[in-house]
Amino acid sequence: MNRTIIDCNANLGSWPFRRTSYNTPEDLLERIGRVGITQAWVTSLDAVVLKNVAAANAPLAEAVAEHDALRAVGTVNPSWPQWERDVAECAELGMIGVRVNPNYQAWLPTDPIFGELLSAAGELGLFVELTVRMTDERHHHPLMMVPPVALGGLLDLCARHQETTIMVANANNAQVLGVARDAAGPLPERLYFEMSHIESVGGVQAVADQIGVEHLLFGTHAPYYYPEAATLKVFDECDFSEAELEALTHGNAEGLLAAR
Amino acid sequence: MSAHGSIIDCHVHPTAARGDGPAACAAEMLRYADRMGIEWQGLSLGPVFIQQPTEDEIVADNDFIAEMIELHPDRFFGYANLNPNLLFHSLREIDERIANGPFVGIKLWVALCCNHANVDAICERAAELRAPILQHTFFRAGGNLAGESSPADVAALASRHPEVTFIAAHAGLNWERGIRAVADQPNVCVDTCGFDPEAGFTEMAVQWLGAERVLYGSDAAGRSFASQLAKVHGADISDDDKRLILSGNMRRVLAL
Ligand SMILES: [Zn+2]
Repeated sequence: MNRTIIDCNANLGSWPFRRTSYNTPEDLLERIGRVGITQAWVTSLDAVVLKNVAAANAPLAEAVAEHDALRAVGTVNPSWPQWERDVAECAELGMIGVRVNPNYQAWLPTDPIFGELLSAAGELGLFVELTVRMTDERHHHPLMMVPPVALGGLLDLCARHQETTIMVANANNAQVLGVARDAAGPLPERLYFEMSHIESVGGVQAVADQIGVEHLLFGTHAPYYYPEAATLKVFDECDFSEAELEALTHGNAEGLLAAR
Repeated sequence: MSAHGSIIDCHVHPTAARGDGPAACAAEMLRYADRMGIEWQGLSLGPVFIQQPTEDEIVADNDFIAEMIELHPDRFFGYANLNPNLLFHSLREIDERIANGPFVGIKLWVALCCNHANVDAICERAAELRAPILQHTFFRAGGNLAGESSPADVAALASRHPEVTFIAAHAGLNWERGIRAVADQPNVCVDTCGFDPEAGFTEMAVQWLGAERVLYGSDAAGRSFASQLAKVHGADISDDDKRLILSGNMRRVLAL
């Protein structure tokens, strides 16, 4: 079956704590193509631990330039001087969004700088990816144990920045459902969660039932994760309707891009 | 072969599944297992995870699993959950649950590190009954819990009980270290379960241990069957190796 599947959470480059395979554009596309994924939004693994994170942006844009199936998501650190220039550069480079890693960049989403970044990105038509973790905290390097990003305050930010699309990446069931519980009703229209870290038997469906499938994006965290995890969860373990599958695998992602 | 495939999931906790009681829980676990081609589920630790269970809590937990097995003896097998701090009770549970059936193995979680002499006594009885021991193992960042075992602890224990098959669950979570820790101890297998579907795990396990010592497990229902199956289906290893990991090895361990 020729279904469009957009992986909203893929990576290129090197992760300092483990060798990864399939981390060039060609290899990544071949690898995720094996499970039927046709397009991917990619961030730079290197940028997570670079001090000057913006140094990874132009190389990432260049790496994906020849691949229509790949779209680049830049990395910014709003706690550094001149971050506005980095956001502007991401837009000029044709990137679709900017990713932040507050836990690796040593700031909190409740800090005023995040609100400033949301405004700046929204004005330039970039979505903001809030990545809550990169790997399981329980096996971090003993000299670099990084706690996950807490999502308290996220709904307030959404309310104050309705012009900006936010994608939360690598959040687990408890984190996603915690936000849904706080919302006590429909989630903000432009708030999305990516599903690579949703676990438990039938968990993706259970989370979709709670937050609304229209807020869920297909993602693999490949090549750091085996991409089969995402496809097996969505297509085999869960029992989504065809309409839900269309939304989850590409409709929501396309809508997100169109609405920026 | 029946409609559901022939995969054996060596590590399942019927906990987070929706549905109360053994019958509803069993139906829910089987519904998803059928979708994933999983024929057999090795059960332990029922509705409640208790780090330091009392005798009564152990009995209630094992009773819950026993009921599920009784309902579906062709789909579930069981590991008797023990608290090795309660040694006499543990030995009695082994006699009542394994010697008399229907349980086939032993589950040890985090009540007592397996470097303790009480666990040696449990292993001696396990050897007589040819019961495999599924031991939770972590190399936890920042240090293990007080009663938590590491793969190195299991390897040392296994060297004293070469006739027992040990399953180092989660390969220690910090799997690059965990695989190395058990590599020289041939009666220790690792399972694939209970951690994120991190690429490279299965390839390294097969390279260091041989496919014969790698067992598919999920840690469902807290984990997804699917995300953990991905570690096998998605690994760059041979189809023969995948078949061993998905069922052949566990058939050998259980002498099916
Ligand atoms: Zn477990």
